[in-house]
Amino acid sequence: MNFLLVAICAFTIAGCGKGGKSANEIRVGVVMPITGREAKPGQYQREGIELAIKQINDSGGIMVKEKGKKLPVKEVFYDDASDQAKSAGLVERAMTTDEVTAVIGGYSTALGEAESVMPDRYQTPWITPGAAAAHIFSRGYTYTFGTLSSTDLLGYTTGEFLGSLMDAGKLKKDLAVALALENTDHGVEYGEGIQRWSQEHPGYFRVVFSEKFDLGGTDFSGLLQKVKGSKADIFLADAHLQDYITMERQYIQSGMYHQMISYGARGPDQDARKALGDATNYIFAGLWWSKKLPYPQVKKFDADYQAFAGHEPDSYYPAPAYDAMRALAMAIEQAGSLNKTAIRDALKNVELKDSLMPGQVLRFGKTGQVELPFVIVQNKPDDKSDIVYPRDAATGEAVAPKPRK
Amino acid sequence: MNIVDFLNLLVAAVLLAGVYAAMSVGMTIIYGVLKIVNLAHAGFLMLGAYFVYELYTRFNVDPLLGVIFAFPVFFLIGAGIYWLLVRRIPRSDQPTLPSLLLLFGLWLVLQNLGYLIWGNGDHAILTPRTFSTFQIGPIIFPTVRLVVFGAAVASLAGLEFALHRTWFGRAIRALMQNSDAGRIAGVNVDRTAQIAFGIGIAFAGAAGGLLAMMYSFTPDFGGSFLLRAFVIIVLGGLESFAGVAVGALILALVETFSILVIPSGYQPAISFSLLVLALVILPDGVAGLWKKRQRLA
Repeated sequence: MNFLLVAICAFTIAGCGKGGKSANEIRVGVVMPITGREAKPGQYQREGIELAIKQINDSGGIMVKEKGKKLPVKEVFYDDASDQAKSAGLVERAMTTDEVTAVIGGYSTALGEAESVMPDRYQTPWITPGAAAAHIFSRGYTYTFGTLSSTDLLGYTTGEFLGSLMDAGKLKKDLAVALALENTDHGVEYGEGIQRWSQEHPGYFRVVFSEKFDLGGTDFSGLLQKVKGSKADIFLADAHLQDYITMERQYIQSGMYHQMISYGARGPDQDARKALGDATNYIFAGLWWSKKLPYPQVKKFDADYQAFAGHEPDSYYPAPAYDAMRALAMAIEQAGSLNKTAIRDALKNVELKDSLMPGQVLRFGKTGQVELPFVIVQNKPDDKSDIVYPRDAATGEAVAPKPRK
Repeated sequence: MNIVDFLNLLVAAVLLAGVYAAMSVGMTIIYGVLKIVNLAHAGFLMLGAYFVYELYTRFNVDPLLGVIFAFPVFFLIGAGIYWLLVRRIPRSDQPTLPSLLLLFGLWLVLQNLGYLIWGNGDHAILTPRTFSTFQIGPIIFPTVRLVVFGAAVASLAGLEFALHRTWFGRAIRALMQNSDAGRIAGVNVDRTAQIAFGIGIAFAGAAGGLLAMMYSFTPDFGGSFLLRAFVIIVLGGLESFAGVAVGALILALVETFSILVIPSGYQPAISFSLLVLALVILPDGVAGLWKKRQRLA
């Protein structure tokens, strides 16, 4: 009996020790989907974070003044399997059992929303490089930060881009737009951004159809028939990767044509280009980042990432994650302490001046979300793509209207 | 909505019914004979998709031919899994918890096996057939969907023929109706159940191959089809193959046309509502209703 008691105590103490904080490292929780629906973007984001951690550790770690030395970063990684409940649970586990200093997590708005309730509860800073809905940052939380600008701004920039094509005479004015939006805050805010631009700039285009669809749909023929029936000139959808592929396949099969097509932030994704081939040509996307941005730090990141991950950065995914980790490192250094509230306060004032993101300076806004501009990228034949908007970052001309064949 | 739009939607719904029927029939066979709800069905849909994908990308085998190859391969896999795992589950006239847990566990194993082999990227089969269509007047027929529909109809017809015209088919039907009576009549229950499980998995693998011609897929593929397969087999009657076809058609028509009055964001709710309605109003499905009418006549 005594032996049993001693054994239980020993296991309990050992268990506590395992989860306990080490004085010689900075534990950072990383919760990303590596399996499930969001696996691919989640993997790219994880790679972005791990590259930043590697570079930080290669340079000796992060200087923590109160410890009087540089400490290495230790990643505590969890795969949330693209499941909202699991995602929130794993962030909670990282913040409690693992006693991490901060968590980077939440690819996709849906998963980010689930995670976002934990940071203030456990007073642990949380940075999401993959959830963009402004709704997450409008609840008065003080420990939540995001390196993606809002999807409302994505929609607004899409409107701006279409307006610029009309001003340039490539598209006629007063065109009809049909919207198909995923049934999430991401989709809703994207639609609101487009409507807002349209209302502020009358005479350019009008939204004649707007409908939400469910994530992970298997058949969009009814929705597309309604889009067809709306007689719109431009088709704008906000979709995740799998829905983009399924919807575009059915779009082509149903013989539809619009002068311009977009699937929100999806477009140049490699898996989609493999799955759809030439059907992705001339689709345009609003992206938070592109490896074609003409900044020296982007070129360096591209090379470093390829050497680290063994493949090119796909779409925008790894860059905001890489910058999230670098912003966190800067905040820890500025706080000079591993005190989470001090790090939270430092994050509010962080200014990452060699950011990869458009504008090159990353700072968090009042709500914790960055307010950086978007780039519009258009797919071109032969697997090429160009930044086509804004003009000062453009690497090619926008093709509008989309050629019929 | 004009008549052309209506006809285009009707064509889309009928072709979708073919897809739904193809993916549900394997589950019906297994339930009918073994009274097991095959929760691993989605895993075999996924494996079937990758099987056809591998044949196409490595050996340039036409996906349709790949689907035909999938039948014997997945039959053997199914028969092997029966021998290794399923036969150890205690027999019952109702689905049991051990069978549900075993097959759910198997699904998770298959998913993780998929991640191990193919990673987490989206895969897809892109052939000249993928985007080709043909038109009869203003009505558009996507070739891939037509091919899938044809394959589904051929599979169902072949199965109906085998079940009614062969001794083995009669043995399966006997087990579906009353396994004890079948045993007394000389049916080797264990062997028949093994072959039925193999056929069910063969249909699942082939259906996965057909779906791969239409959708992109990851190791998670199949989950969203599983709910629809439940709805279809409950609607059709749990042990009826003709019922599967009717159930698939009802679901496809309701899903497609309801979008005209309900936003498509509520499409999954339509499937759930149909499932609940069928369980409450038609617990034996359309096939049960048909049998009842025949008895009354």
